[in-house]
Amino acid sequence: MAFPLPRGITASEIAFLAEMETVTIVPRQRLEGLELLGGPVEPLIPPRRAALPLWLALLLKRQRRANIMPPPWLHPDSLSLILEVESQHQDYKSAFSPPPPLPGQPSIRDQGLEPTARPQYTLDGNRYYAAPPFLPQNTAQTVVSSRDPPALPYHWVEVGNMLLDVASDDLVDPDQIRRLLKDLREVRMAKMRSGIDVLDDAAIGGGGVALTGVGSMELGEERGFLAGVVDGLRKIGASKEQARREQLAEQRANGGYDGTQDEEEEDYMEF
Amino acid sequence: MDIDDILASVDRGPGASPESAALDHQQLTRFWVAERAVSEVLPWPAPLMERVMDRVRIQIETIEDLAASSADTITNTTHNPNLNLRLSILQTDLARTQYIIRSLLRARLAKLTKYSMHYLVQLASRNKNPLSTASQSQSQSQSSSANPNTTPEDSVPDISALVDTAPLSGPETSFVHAHQTLLAGHYGGSFLGAFPRQLRRLDDNAGGTSMVQGPETKEVVFVRCLGAEVPVLVDGEEGVEEVGVVMRMGDVWVVRWEGVRRAWERGEVELL
Amino acid sequence: MSYYDIDSILTDAQVKLDPSPEKLPCTFELEVPGLGILEGNPGEDIKAGTRIDLPLWLGEMLSIGARLGTSRLVTLDMPDALAERVMNALKADPRTVDLRALAPHFYTLSERILEIFEEEEMVDVLIDTFKKRAAEISDHAHNPRGAVGEGVDFLRGLDETERQLFRAAHDRAKEVRIWAGEAKKK
Repeated sequence: MAFPLPRGITASEIAFLAEMETVTIVPRQRLEGLELLGGPVEPLIPPRRAALPLWLALLLKRQRRANIMPPPWLHPDSLSLILEVESQHQDYKSAFSPPPPLPGQPSIRDQGLEPTARPQYTLDGNRYYAAPPFLPQNTAQTVVSSRDPPALPYHWVEVGNMLLDVASDDLVDPDQIRRLLKDLREVRMAKMRSGIDVLDDAAIGGGGVALTGVGSMELGEERGFLAGVVDGLRKIGASKEQARREQLAEQRANGGYDGTQDEEEEDYMEF
Repeated sequence: MDIDDILASVDRGPGASPESAALDHQQLTRFWVAERAVSEVLPWPAPLMERVMDRVRIQIETIEDLAASSADTITNTTHNPNLNLRLSILQTDLARTQYIIRSLLRARLAKLTKYSMHYLVQLASRNKNPLSTASQSQSQSQSSSANPNTTPEDSVPDISALVDTAPLSGPETSFVHAHQTLLAGHYGGSFLGAFPRQLRRLDDNAGGTSMVQGPETKEVVFVRCLGAEVPVLVDGEEGVEEVGVVMRMGDVWVVRWEGVRRAWERGEVELL
Repeated sequence: MSYYDIDSILTDAQVKLDPSPEKLPCTFELEVPGLGILEGNPGEDIKAGTRIDLPLWLGEMLSIGARLGTSRLVTLDMPDALAERVMNALKADPRTVDLRALAPHFYTLSERILEIFEEEEMVDVLIDTFKKRAAEISDHAHNPRGAVGEGVDFLRGLDETERQLFRAAHDRAKEVRIWAGEAKKK
């Protein structure tokens, strides 16, 4: 067997990916700028803050060469607020709390606004839309953007866990943070599992089930199971899907097909 | 930006600036995650991989130079106390990039060995050269069982006249052909050789079940929608304009891979 | 069905139990000279109207003519594993049915049978069964102490597809616990 790992990145690879998140540090020593394969690293000049990839920040922190400024969401107040939304808020009984918006995506407070995707261009001239771990979702905010409520970034489990491990002295009330992260994990895990009931929506062509707000590690933990369930449902329902498609094709041939798929849209439910 | 920096980046030509390294690194990372997430082999991003491999080579030289100077100044480390730190950072960064490349290549090889006949048949049929139809049809038609010396290797498609190797890279194409030829030879030597001639093929269709197995594109994947709105196609393959649910920017969905493959090619969704 | 898939092959050729609930009950519509071997009477003929349980691959093949309407060599019935009383039990409470005892490849068999028979209601019952049992499987797979009490019986009754589901859920959950330092690598 050339490659024994299962489909979809594993827990340790997810953590590896999360280490590419950018965090803010306060260096305790000088270091000249570096050109890494992951991109340039700015010179470190105490006490000026610098933004670095998490793996490098952890390396410096372990050697006591820097302190890490925790991201605003990794604070007991923010986490309590998010936990309240996750467990009490009417709109999020079965859905995850909203993730931080992508660039060009309106804030949760401006729900009426249309998103405008803002592509960059790659060296090959293709459109490129940045996404985690390559967005500043874990940096300390210099400008206080109080408009956006605190939100769990995509790599919240990994970043939270690693900072608690290596930089707990840089966090506000780390024990409380640890408890809150654990509670959040449990509330959200329960939502993930209660969602099995709507998974048949993803088992048909053109269908899908939304998991918006899910974290990377949460997805990694459930992906094999979820994909297995949808796969099983697809196979059991294959004869029915086939019959439905033939029926649609017939209707279209007779001009009786009106182009809508209302039935499917109504079935759609968020987790 | 300093004027020296600008001049330096111009000297190295386009694509060599530190910013482009960051962008390429992000693309490589995203491609690695995607390759690990789907059942089929994704189109090999040749220009990206060439740039990344060039940078890896340069970085290895840089590290070797630094290591050499560190050895020179071993008696006098106070002059450059950060040398070892810089070295360990550069080495960690290099090891991380190498991990991604290795994992990416191994994931592709795993799919290639699992579906070797599928990819060979696909390559051969897409590259049908009118001038070499003789060899093509011989390797593909069922009537070749008339040949008294039929061996399992005969069902390995001939890809010697290949122009377009997509979705594979050149080395991957040679690998999969060599792999399948060895496998067919091994089957022939160990058991197929004892079978009647017409039962020695590895691309048979008898009984309605094809021996050539490809990846299942109806399996679900997990995606994040990056464009403003992306519809999920009901049937990604047949060009039917039927549309299913519509994903909105920032959404994460469980959907069939075939329903979002086009959008993935356009960069409007990201595989998770 | 795919060529090298061991579960398909096992579903095809289920011969463990005789009579097996996974086998396909076939009734011969014509007399077939010399085919008595299927009944355990080599050299004899099979009389019209004889009912024999055949492995799926064979019954399916013999029935092709019947489905095309060209000849009626055999007619097929529902295997016992998918009989009406099983469907009723699944409707009542899918978690208490021992699927493995019915057929080790219960769902793979169902998929194949549903290709032969048009049974929309059965599809609905099976989809509901699969989802309800999957939720239960997920709960057990995430329990780091393993199955206890009633759970043991339930897990013993999983069919092959469900076992793979349990393994996927269990392995991934364990991997995360190992990463988080809550469990040790074996």
